[in-house]
Amino acid sequence: MEERPVWENRIKKATALLLAGMVLLLAALFFIMDKKEFSENENRYLAKFPSMSLEGIKSGEYMSGLESYLADHFPFRDFFMGIKTKAEMYAGKKKINGIYIAEDGYLIEAYEKPENTERIGQILGSFAKELEGQDVDLCLMLVPTAIYVYGEKLPGRAPVRNQMETAEIVYSLSGIRAVDCSKDLFAYKEKGELYYKTDHHWTTLGAYAGYTAYCREMGLDAVALEEMEAQTVTEDFRGTVYSKAGDYGREGDAITIYRNPADKLTVEYADTGETSNSLYNLEYVDEKDKYSLFLDNLHSLIEITNENADSDRELVLVKDSYANSMVPFLVHHYEKIYVFDTRYYKQGVSAFIKEHPEVTDVLLLYNMNTLDNDLGIRGVY
Amino acid sequence: MVFSSIPFLFFFLPLCLILYYAVPYECFSIKSWKNMVLLVFSLAFYAWGEPVYILLMFFATAVDYCNGRLMERFGTTRGRRKFFLVCSVAVNLSVLAFFKYADFLIATLGGIFSIPLKPLGLGLPVGISFFTFQTMSYSIDLYRKEVPMERNYLNYLTYVSMFPQLVAGPIVRYSVVNEELRTRRIKKEEVREGLFRFMQGLFKKVLIANQAGALWEEIRMLEAGEASVATAWLGAAAFTLQLYFDFSAYSDMAIGMGKMLGFHFPENFKYPLSAISVTDFWRRWHISLSTWFRDYVYIPLGGNRKGTARHLRNMLVVWFLTGLWHGASWNFVLWGLYYGALLALEKYVWGKALDALPKIVRHCYLLLIVVVGFVIFVFDDMGALGIYFRSMAGMAGNRLWGGECLWYLENYMAVLLAAAVLSFPVYPWVKNRIGRMGDKGRTAASAVSMAGYILLFLVTVAFLVNDTYNPFLYFRF
Repeated sequence: MEERPVWENRIKKATALLLAGMVLLLAALFFIMDKKEFSENENRYLAKFPSMSLEGIKSGEYMSGLESYLADHFPFRDFFMGIKTKAEMYAGKKKINGIYIAEDGYLIEAYEKPENTERIGQILGSFAKELEGQDVDLCLMLVPTAIYVYGEKLPGRAPVRNQMETAEIVYSLSGIRAVDCSKDLFAYKEKGELYYKTDHHWTTLGAYAGYTAYCREMGLDAVALEEMEAQTVTEDFRGTVYSKAGDYGREGDAITIYRNPADKLTVEYADTGETSNSLYNLEYVDEKDKYSLFLDNLHSLIEITNENADSDRELVLVKDSYANSMVPFLVHHYEKIYVFDTRYYKQGVSAFIKEHPEVTDVLLLYNMNTLDNDLGIRGVY
Repeated sequence: MVFSSIPFLFFFLPLCLILYYAVPYECFSIKSWKNMVLLVFSLAFYAWGEPVYILLMFFATAVDYCNGRLMERFGTTRGRRKFFLVCSVAVNLSVLAFFKYADFLIATLGGIFSIPLKPLGLGLPVGISFFTFQTMSYSIDLYRKEVPMERNYLNYLTYVSMFPQLVAGPIVRYSVVNEELRTRRIKKEEVREGLFRFMQGLFKKVLIANQAGALWEEIRMLEAGEASVATAWLGAAAFTLQLYFDFSAYSDMAIGMGKMLGFHFPENFKYPLSAISVTDFWRRWHISLSTWFRDYVYIPLGGNRKGTARHLRNMLVVWFLTGLWHGASWNFVLWGLYYGALLALEKYVWGKALDALPKIVRHCYLLLIVVVGFVIFVFDDMGALGIYFRSMAGMAGNRLWGGECLWYLENYMAVLLAAAVLSFPVYPWVKNRIGRMGDKGRTAASAVSMAGYILLFLVTVAFLVNDTYNPFLYFRF
């Protein structure tokens, strides 16, 4: 047999050793390196080491828990996630981890096929039925996400479902008076960015557009944006969509907040018992998830009182996080706003409304993405 | 635990190999410590996914082991040997029938006689079809006196449970490994080759099969009218590529790990998508299964030697069973019979005419059959299957061509191209060419291959860490 050239052989040996070495090195680093509890980048708690039990082993739960633990604490996890995205981008992919790499620096979350439209329509319908006989104005506002308003920025030919068609179905199934803000959002497109480039939320300008739609529907006098004090609190907000896409190194967004100098506010967080005179918690500016500065992130019930409101009406606001940046505009019109997050408030909002006859308005506000995949809305009824 | 996962790749496999290489074959007069290590890890591997059903594997192997000993002890005549063989096969088939096909049978009977029967709802033990077929091969070969009896139960259990081939094949027969179970030489060079082979399988699974699978998942989610005819065909092609690359990647990884452990498993796939007839395809696709059916069912039934009628009957039986083996559902049976019919047609009707056609035409003919076949394979709901076929035929009110097809092509171009190229024996061809080059060329080629391995390894790990779509497709087998 012919002898292989020496160098070819050596290089092959080296390749095998390198591959084996990388496996062993990464495995060793897994044990050596410090484990993080929380991933700033992904904005979630990482898996904990599963506790061992006979039941857990028999059902296989222990093993799958261990597998998630290993994956979550893998050395250089963020680095590898970035590599994956880069590799996919080089391969020509324009939709990565459910995020479209869109034009003008936008990362836009996909709108997957809605699965729960009928159920949600029914739940909302039952909620409306509960409130029959109560003297309240009930409205439903379904906010489109960036994929609808900024459809033209998506990569060409991307197949997109029309969010507002689904919204129409929910409106008609629920039978609740609809506040359609999609046209207002289109009208505000020229005035600035309506959605963050790196986050799934609307900007405060987007929220303002939504607010004008609500005012129009309810016959309220919208406060002009110029009358409010604007403050840019950060310029490097890299949000959820940024983390999900994994295309690191992009520029962050600015967050501008608005305050109405005329308002005199008391904000009470019912679950923690804390009280504040601001709708913003600016401590979040130094954290990863800066959008949480609106209404201090997640609370089951927040009670907001405005001594200088332009009416003595009271509003119950049932919502997801989109509403958090719209509340600063709404407070001017209501002496009191009760803000409910039905993912955490479990005592039933309709019961609350019945116990509080002074409530005059009820607004349900959800964005079209959360509506379908976060079933917190079930808690409404 | 799938091979292409962080726990397996970084913890299970390295730990197993280190211990395996560290212990000697023989010490304190216990033969083969290496087998012990392999056995313990194999049992842990199976118990990881099936903590309860591991008892079933103990049972099945114990029955066949005892049967083998009894056959050798008392099987003085052919008739007696046959008795033990029938016992063994009956037990294995009952186990398989009970755990895999009971609910299918119940549903079918309930459907025919329209009586509401309650399904048993047993979870299917992973790999049951693989390991029952392996233990049966031992009993049958022993009956035929083609292999010696296994005296050591632990050795036998090691053979059946051996983790590289336990859950997704190849179906390694006892006759192939019985000598290596006792004595084998672990050569450095083979360990290295095994490592490369394993890595190739890993890359194929993670970077090609999973990506093609993601494309298929996207397309199958579309409503019937949304997908143009072109997209429906693209989806079917994507699933074909997913299944081939996934399945052959598992075999690559199994063969590679086998080599690292000193075993030589048979090849299971020989570029089936480059075949030029259905007959050719089945000589290249899941070889260990088709040869199993050939040697243990088709030939004993008489094969093609007893006239056309008997031959057709035998083909019907074999392909009905081959289909059913893939899962307890009618679509798998249909898929098997589809191939049985096509093979019969090639043999008796158009085989000669086909041979006269240019190669490229025969190749297109085969690809068309395979792609349509895997659509039958993937839908276990006949209604959904019908809808998808209508989509492919343009009878779902869909257009011939749509922008969405271009979108999928753009997004998955790299994967589809790589898959298409690697479906043909390009890699062996390149290797062969390099082998004939001079020293300099070969050194350069090995340097390029080194860079390729390292790069692909890092990208593969990145895909594994991101934990996206990484399915195990054989839970129904």
